[in-house]
Amino acid sequence: MNLKELYQEIILEHGKNPRNLRKTEGFNKDAKGNNPLCGDNIHVYLKLNGQKIVEDASFEGSGCAISMASASIMTDLIKGKNEHEAKEIVEDFLGMIKENPELKSKYLSEDEKTKLMCLSGVKQYPMRVKCATLSWHTMVSAFDEEMEEVKTEN
Amino acid sequence: MNIDQIKKEFPIFDEKIQNNDLVYLDSANSSQKPKIVVDRINEFYTKQFSNVGRSVHYLAVAATNLYENTRTSVQKYINAKHKNEIVFTKGATEALNLVANTLGQSYLQEGDEVLITELEHHSNYVPWHFLRKSKNIKINFAEINEEGEITLEEIEKKITPKTKLISITHLSNVTGAILPVKEITQLAHSKGIIVVVDGCQGAPHLKLDMQELDCDFYAISCHKMYGPTGLGVLYGKKKWLEELPPYQGGGGMINEVKKDRISYGELPNKYEAGTMATAQVIAFDKSIKFLESIGIENVMKHEADLVEYGQELLQKNNSVKLIGNPKNKGGVLSFIIEGVHPHDIATILDEDGVAIRAGHHCCQILHDKLNIPASARASVGIYNTKEDLDQLNESINNCKKIFDL
Ligand SMILES: Cc1ncc(COP(=O)(O)O)c(C=O)c1O
Repeated sequence: MNLKELYQEIILEHGKNPRNLRKTEGFNKDAKGNNPLCGDNIHVYLKLNGQKIVEDASFEGSGCAISMASASIMTDLIKGKNEHEAKEIVEDFLGMIKENPELKSKYLSEDEKTKLMCLSGVKQYPMRVKCATLSWHTMVSAFDEEMEEVKTEN
Repeated sequence: MNIDQIKKEFPIFDEKIQNNDLVYLDSANSSQKPKIVVDRINEFYTKQFSNVGRSVHYLAVAATNLYENTRTSVQKYINAKHKNEIVFTKGATEALNLVANTLGQSYLQEGDEVLITELEHHSNYVPWHFLRKSKNIKINFAEINEEGEITLEEIEKKITPKTKLISITHLSNVTGAILPVKEITQLAHSKGIIVVVDGCQGAPHLKLDMQELDCDFYAISCHKMYGPTGLGVLYGKKKWLEELPPYQGGGGMINEVKKDRISYGELPNKYEAGTMATAQVIAFDKSIKFLESIGIENVMKHEADLVEYGQELLQKNNSVKLIGNPKNKGGVLSFIIEGVHPHDIATILDEDGVAIRAGHHCCQILHDKLNIPASARASVGIYNTKEDLDQLNESINNCKKIFDL
């Protein structure tokens, strides 16, 4: 593992030009997360339709290329999934970022898996894992509508 | 002064860090330790260990003497009038909490105002915030100017008839600004205001003379001063330390304990409750000896040269923006690179063995003011060379390349 592998094109691309960096109009779920150690912060917005399917997902905030890319990829691929599917994907992603060699969820397409695996490089940088996971924890708390702000602890 | 020779006194520089030579530019966070300090800890634990101030056996007496020797060394090093004005704490954070807590108990009244600055580290803000909550005191902030400095005029402007205390950093751990502490103290004292100084960044890099500065309290962090972690020093004027109540209760700080009454010990024991960081205190004597052997004037000259050199390098590097440009500046170079988050900078620099810090450096108020979430910070110590700063610059260029800048 080297830096080149961590800062691959796709991370830089999403990091510099994140998708869905905006506030969803008419969102019905949202949560804030922050990373007190770094001062990174994120606000995730979800709009669920009548069938509890994510119609739109977006985020606002600032952070490093890793956290921005992670939020960007996450909000892209979560669209069209329901809460149950989304949460399973979160579990799968967090497992992969910490220890699992690969992603297993049946709710992820091969293309989505490939994109997410680009973030696997952060495993080598324990201090940076929380950058990659902040948006994911925050999305879960948006689903659960927890009032408390999410704080990362790896 | 031979920096290569001085660097050899620090064993860490013999290590390869992920196959790289270490370029350590994080001394404002914590300094590396010279061998004599590390050896002293080892020697104390292997050959001389005993608790201090408790027993009468040989080792206990010897350890107590060693412990008190450091107090005397610190007193001399900072030119305090009395030995008992030196109190050991677990760090500068505890020193500042001690001051805020005890002044809060017995001196500050509801409605009183405390003046701090936008440059303060959280440890010189949060303890006062506690009093804002518990005693309804008000906290005012002196504001930085364009250069990231706090001027005497700004302090004067922010003093009101209710200002009872001014608590300021000696040297900003972000902009590097050195505050006119002596002048601020003169002004404050002319109005009957107490002055507390967070000397964390001042103590390792500036000449200290408590009697000349004349501040009422001065907090020191030993781990930033080529000393061990878990140790700080609070200097406090004798009249204050005598007058204020104790901070923590326990063994060592008492005079007499009865079921219905307790009287407290004399200085400095009054503020050193429980078993202290004995080995660290004893080893800290070597840190002071180390600094004395170089001479603080030489330290200051070397670090001033480094900062000037680093500042020029980074100013010439486009897309790098330095934070603050104070006239009177210590060894701190904080910067941002347009388009690269400080954490990415730090990770990429780390790959080359260049250790810097990224984040808000416990100064969120300042970063909010500057409208940036975080910054990257390179800070120097006595062991750094111009080559280190060249490497910093080169690694920054590498970082820009990765980010296509
Ligand atoms: C300006 C300043 N004040 C206070 C502190 C806290 O010091 P300590 O680590 O000794 O508690 C630091 C160190 O992080 C600092 O840089």
